[in-house]
Amino acid sequence: MRLDRRRLLTTALSLGAVELFPGLSLAQARPLVFATFTGSWEEAHKAVLVPAFRRETGNAPIVLDPMLSVDQIAKVSAARAAPPIDVMLHDPGPALTATAQDLVEPYPVERSAAFKELIPDAQEATGPAAFFQVVGLTYNPDTVRTPPTSWADLWRPEYKGRVGITTMNSTLGTGFMVEVAKMHGGSEANIDPAFKAMEALKPNLSAVAANPGALATLFQQGQVDISPGNFNAIQILKAKGVPVEFVAPKEGAIAFKTAIQIVRNSPNRELAFKLIEAAISEPVQTRLMQAPYLIVPTNAKVRMSGEIAKVLAKDTDDLRRKFVFQDWKTINAQRPAWIERFNREIRL
Amino acid sequence: MARAQPDVTAYDLRLASPLALFFAAFFAAPLAALLALSLRGADGRYGLSQYAAFLGDRFSLGVLGGTLWLGLKVTAVCLGLGYPLALVATRAGSLVRGLVILAVLTPLLTSVVIRTFAWIVILGRQGVVNGVLSSLGLTDGPVRLLYAEGGLVAALAQVQMPLMVLPLMTALARIDPSLWDASEALGAGRWRTFLRVTLPLSLPGLIAGSVLTFAAAISGFITQSLIGGGQMLFMPGYIYQQAIALQNWPFAAAMSVIFLVAVLAVILAFNALGRLARGYAQT
Amino acid sequence: MSRSPGALDRLSFEGLVLLLALAALVLLLAPTAIVLVVSFTDGLSLRFPPPGYSLRWYGELMEAWQLHFALGNSLRVAFFATLLAVVLGVLAALAVARSPRLAARLLDSLFLSPLILPALAFGLSSLMYFSLLGWPVSVATLVIGHTIVCVPYVVRNTVAALTQLQPVLLEGSASLGASRLYTLRRITLPLIRPGILSGGFLAFMASFDNIPVSLFLRDAATDMLPIRMWQDLEGRLDVTIAALSGVLIVATIAVIALMERLTGLSKRLV
Repeated sequence: MRLDRRRLLTTALSLGAVELFPGLSLAQARPLVFATFTGSWEEAHKAVLVPAFRRETGNAPIVLDPMLSVDQIAKVSAARAAPPIDVMLHDPGPALTATAQDLVEPYPVERSAAFKELIPDAQEATGPAAFFQVVGLTYNPDTVRTPPTSWADLWRPEYKGRVGITTMNSTLGTGFMVEVAKMHGGSEANIDPAFKAMEALKPNLSAVAANPGALATLFQQGQVDISPGNFNAIQILKAKGVPVEFVAPKEGAIAFKTAIQIVRNSPNRELAFKLIEAAISEPVQTRLMQAPYLIVPTNAKVRMSGEIAKVLAKDTDDLRRKFVFQDWKTINAQRPAWIERFNREIRL
Repeated sequence: MARAQPDVTAYDLRLASPLALFFAAFFAAPLAALLALSLRGADGRYGLSQYAAFLGDRFSLGVLGGTLWLGLKVTAVCLGLGYPLALVATRAGSLVRGLVILAVLTPLLTSVVIRTFAWIVILGRQGVVNGVLSSLGLTDGPVRLLYAEGGLVAALAQVQMPLMVLPLMTALARIDPSLWDASEALGAGRWRTFLRVTLPLSLPGLIAGSVLTFAAAISGFITQSLIGGGQMLFMPGYIYQQAIALQNWPFAAAMSVIFLVAVLAVILAFNALGRLARGYAQT
Repeated sequence: MSRSPGALDRLSFEGLVLLLALAALVLLLAPTAIVLVVSFTDGLSLRFPPPGYSLRWYGELMEAWQLHFALGNSLRVAFFATLLAVVLGVLAALAVARSPRLAARLLDSLFLSPLILPALAFGLSSLMYFSLLGWPVSVATLVIGHTIVCVPYVVRNTVAALTQLQPVLLEGSASLGASRLYTLRRITLPLIRPGILSGGFLAFMASFDNIPVSLFLRDAATDMLPIRMWQDLEGRLDVTIAALSGVLIVATIAVIALMERLTGLSKRLV
């Protein structure tokens, strides 16, 4: 009896070993690593971009590693010679940083079929813009009966303990703080008024989320009812039936483009190129523009229609006119200090 | 072989050398590298500037103090609930004891992430606790438990409780039950017997459990970040943030060293307290 | 005389102890129970009680390739880390368990120290060290880091089993002319096998659940399950994680029961 049990265990263990063994190798060729953003983007990319990439490459292995741009830059610059990421996704601020730190492989424009189809704004040689993002206010229509109309509404006493924000590590958090500063006489160069205003916001705060994806989930969990929010971050939740709406504040919603870049020294450069080609191609961007993703396209062949045309903009010119574009060069110079200060001062 | 009675039950100490070498290469050396890096100043010169920056900064000291304080609170809760459980389990029949052990082992061996995420369900604004409170009419609106320190202490206590209960059960099981009978026969009541016999004799288990609980609670990064949220900062999150998000490696290294030293100091204090208490109990 | 301390004394003490013990038991078990119930929700949020019940999230689990990938990595790393920890740890335990020398006691403390040191600091230092050496993070570096964290469980359990051995048995074997190796192989090892097995089991679980070391030594290509679960929970509040938790909880209880039969695990821990 005992012997049998022992033999069973030994057999199980050695079978396990055989099964597991092929994985242990120092120089194993790794799958393509695409650092997307948490939340809706991860889901959208998983559902649309990855299948398109797999079709193009005959099922090349790929993994998504969602994280904030600042974390992507940290990881890549910590291991420049053997970067752990192949394709980065960057909002304007981090895109400037990544280029300045020489972390980006120039995009092989001459080989690219889709690059010339992009709107001129998106044709960055360091890596094309794959989509636009829009930041305004998000709220739970079940509990917030009158839709908010201004950033200032977050400070209203009735939202005591119901407001969510993110840290300044995200573009959303930093962009929001810059708008708050502007409301109180500050600017991209002068953030002080925003920090003063945050002191007054503290009684209203229910949570400070680590990233926009995490912020959106707080609506799903009923933890917050109103927050500065990303148009895209809530779309998939909304489609699933979570009560959450987006509204542009009267001061103007913030818009910015998001670049997709090949990491310098990536061991998977060719696959990275293929992924980006798919990301900026007409079919993928068309699909991503439709519900439930509603991601603003940068490929000129994709005509903005449906919900995007209705809520955001009819085309890129319309987008340019209607939205606030912030000065990320100025912001970038001081952003690390702001992040540090925010993490110190905004504690509940 | 025929020299003065070789002890056949003891093996050559050299058998430990593979592991000792492994520890030297992958445990001691990394910690040494950490120490070396922590001595590198922002200007590239070597010195104690990173330590000065940390120790001279009230915010950083506050995070360190807050982390140690959190660990003490969690340890206290674990002790307050874990000791009675261990006592009951040790004195009960084998069936109850087996069940308690299973109840303790299951959380110990299920992932910290799973146990933590249960607490999101329990503590949220629409969570179990708030549901009970509002249906009893005790509150006129949801109470903030998630992303607040009280909730974090409860969650960490649950996550780390097994580490307290198991050593306590070991220590309590070693106490000869006839001592209890003797104490009672001498007229000492339950409380007196507990304070003068059980508690002092279980001190080794109590200290071991406290040390393990404390060490686990202060470095419970996942629970701290999921239940504490983005606005509560403790040493592990602070170190992670400095190292990964801000790439301030020398500072992160200095913080880790300070954290290590502070933890060791608290653990030594636990041990000293235990020895002191034992000495006191024996008089 | 027997009633002299008073019934109140007895009642207050026993009552309080029982009450606190029950509270502790509820605190220990409730979260696991809640996770199991929530995993059968048909809703989108982690609410208890769920609005309705379904198996949809278990269905989603089948499709979750990122989780499958991370699970594979975690199992692989845990397997090799345990293997290494058991081989190195048992040898070391044999050496230090019954040695009266100071060096043995110091080594013993060294091998147990990863249990107490904040593992996060060790994770960070490993990352720095490997990047100094120029080793990119990989399954191999993860296995090394995890082995350090796993070794204490093996050493502790094996040493405990060795100290409980009756020296008479071994001396008897030796006096009958058996060689040291023969005694080790035929007497010592079989007797301490349950100790090694339970140490190995705890080491495996410690690696499988490890976060502080993986946090620094993993990357996307070597994604680890606890980290992926944490990120999916934080970033997307993915209810699939509840279903995965349900599977893991049931699997863990099954393995605990198996180890209990094989090694008397609970007696070893208490």
